[in-house]
Amino acid sequence: MPMTDAPATALRILMIDDESRILRALKALLREHTTFATTNPLEAAALAKQHDVDVVICDQRMPEKAGVDVLRDIKETHPRALRILLTGYSDLKAVLGSVNEGEVYRFVNKPWNNTELRDLVTGAGKIAREAPVIARDTLPQAEHDRARTQVGVLVIEDDTAVQQRLREILQPYYKVNFANNAERALQIMEQNETGVVISETEAGRSDLTGLLKALKLHHPHIATVVVTERANAQTAIELINEGQVYRMLIKPVRMGTCRLSVDSAIGRYWQLKQNPQAARRYTAAKPAPEGGSSALRLPAALLNRIRSLPGRLLGNARA
Amino acid sequence: MLLIIVIVLVVACAALGVALAQQRRQNLVLRAGQAETEAELKHLQASQSQVIHTTKLASLGQMVAGVAHEINTPLGFVKSNVEVVGDLLDDYRKLVKQYDAAVQVCLQPVDLIFNADKASLDKLVKHVEEARRKLFEARTAVEKSPLLKDAKELLGDASEGLAQLSSLVVNLKGFSRVDRDGMDTMDLNEGIESALMIAQHQLRDRVKVVKHLQPLPKVRCMPSQMNQVFLNLITNAAQAIDGDGTLTVDSRVDGGQVQVDISDTGCGIADDVLPKIFDPFFTTKPVGEGTGLGLSIVHKIVKGHGGTIKVRTTPRKGTTFTVSLPVNVSGPAAAESA
Repeated sequence: MPMTDAPATALRILMIDDESRILRALKALLREHTTFATTNPLEAAALAKQHDVDVVICDQRMPEKAGVDVLRDIKETHPRALRILLTGYSDLKAVLGSVNEGEVYRFVNKPWNNTELRDLVTGAGKIAREAPVIARDTLPQAEHDRARTQVGVLVIEDDTAVQQRLREILQPYYKVNFANNAERALQIMEQNETGVVISETEAGRSDLTGLLKALKLHHPHIATVVVTERANAQTAIELINEGQVYRMLIKPVRMGTCRLSVDSAIGRYWQLKQNPQAARRYTAAKPAPEGGSSALRLPAALLNRIRSLPGRLLGNARA
Repeated sequence: MLLIIVIVLVVACAALGVALAQQRRQNLVLRAGQAETEAELKHLQASQSQVIHTTKLASLGQMVAGVAHEINTPLGFVKSNVEVVGDLLDDYRKLVKQYDAAVQVCLQPVDLIFNADKASLDKLVKHVEEARRKLFEARTAVEKSPLLKDAKELLGDASEGLAQLSSLVVNLKGFSRVDRDGMDTMDLNEGIESALMIAQHQLRDRVKVVKHLQPLPKVRCMPSQMNQVFLNLITNAAQAIDGDGTLTVDSRVDGGQVQVDISDTGCGIADDVLPKIFDPFFTTKPVGEGTGLGLSIVHKIVKGHGGTIKVRTTPRKGTTFTVSLPVNVSGPAAAESA
């Protein structure tokens, strides 16, 4: 391992996979950086801390421990590192876990594209070194009470029964607004400071994921919570990579999980508002030009409105 | 008195008539019922092969998911390595070019100047020394470069990855038997291996697989159906295990019978459920998750091959399914229905 003579720009990268050949391949691919590799997921968290790594690349399916759990542990003990899940097979459970527990930066499928992965790692490492960390999303009680009276929560949902249910859960605690389509949602966001968006992936048969992705691309400090009944792994992966969705919940909505998610989403937004540089850690990838690029299918007018959402109302420091 | 007898007789006759008519009606109903049952039976027989085909397709879907996973890992590093080796060779070429440049400098003709003054002589010596030093450095760089060794290692991995991929394809072909159909002789151990490979993605993270496979004589059977039997039993075993556990597969020859045990350390089967497990459409899985056909198909296939299937189970401890096939089996009935 070229430890001593590595240039200052060289990142420190930890790689975990039960197949040692994958590790060797990644090592060769990322040879300009300093890499640490292990086939044993149980020692991953300690290695991440010990070598103060910038980026972690982890396989999902390993016999001793699932990748999601490894990344969750690293998030706790070494939150500075950006986490990438690299997997050969994406079942929905793993994808949801990688959002809700691992809070992964990107979800990459095997076989990967060398150039893309190298660029991804380089970009992630730069962010990990430069952007400040928000270690905990939960706020102290007094601050949380202040946050929830100021920060707007927007629900985008066209099913009136679900709307009613969410109203019951959220209304007593938060400043909630409801929209049943993208147009109405934007109107609300143009008029109110909105920090948390709770959304279905579809409303009135039209896709909402494009809106969520565009929103995150231009306003990365807004926390989006997707609540859906149409869960599939592919959409979920896109929502992670291109939408940096904060939480993803499957219907029916449970009171406890929902409140917990919204509470910490508010905490996340609140802290990003005070510490805008940290938002770089949650930058969404620009949607790929071919396939699944629903953001590009968004009407130009809508896209412009998203882009020009006033920073004042969003609590956006970059004005 | 007579009148009473007549009345009684008339009533009796009427009652008999009614009973007769009822009987006739019942007969008709029965006959219609019989015809219906016969039609149903025919329909069932026809749909039975359809069902075998459908569950075959279901196991195909399962196979695709599992195999995609098994393929993507070797594909990942083979693809990456081949590209990276290309880059490494480019880097190596740069080193060789530098070496070549150093050689060229050394080959530059040096004019020997007679009666040259000391200063220009020193300059000349310095030039030659410098050129030799550069050549030495360039040569060391080429010799010590890890590039070729790395490239070779990566190519070695790539070739192993390709071997993994081709054995997957062989397994798949063995499993689906797309290249042949109908009766064939088969080593059941191969069927077990390919079914395990296909069920791999359901087992990998949490279920430890223990194999005790003894050499078996080849059995005449429908290989694709036997594969389906093994995949089904292995999948069931995996599903019976909640969390971590062990799946044990044993095979042996015992008195003219080939026997395969598939055991799990799962939840076991409750007493009231046990008698029904081979019934079609019986399932303990939530609606939409199981067809209730898996074990009934397994049962049918094994019986069709003149074999037997036995279950031993202890609730909360685990279950063992034992499939026995006669070594010499002639013309299984299952052959026609598939």
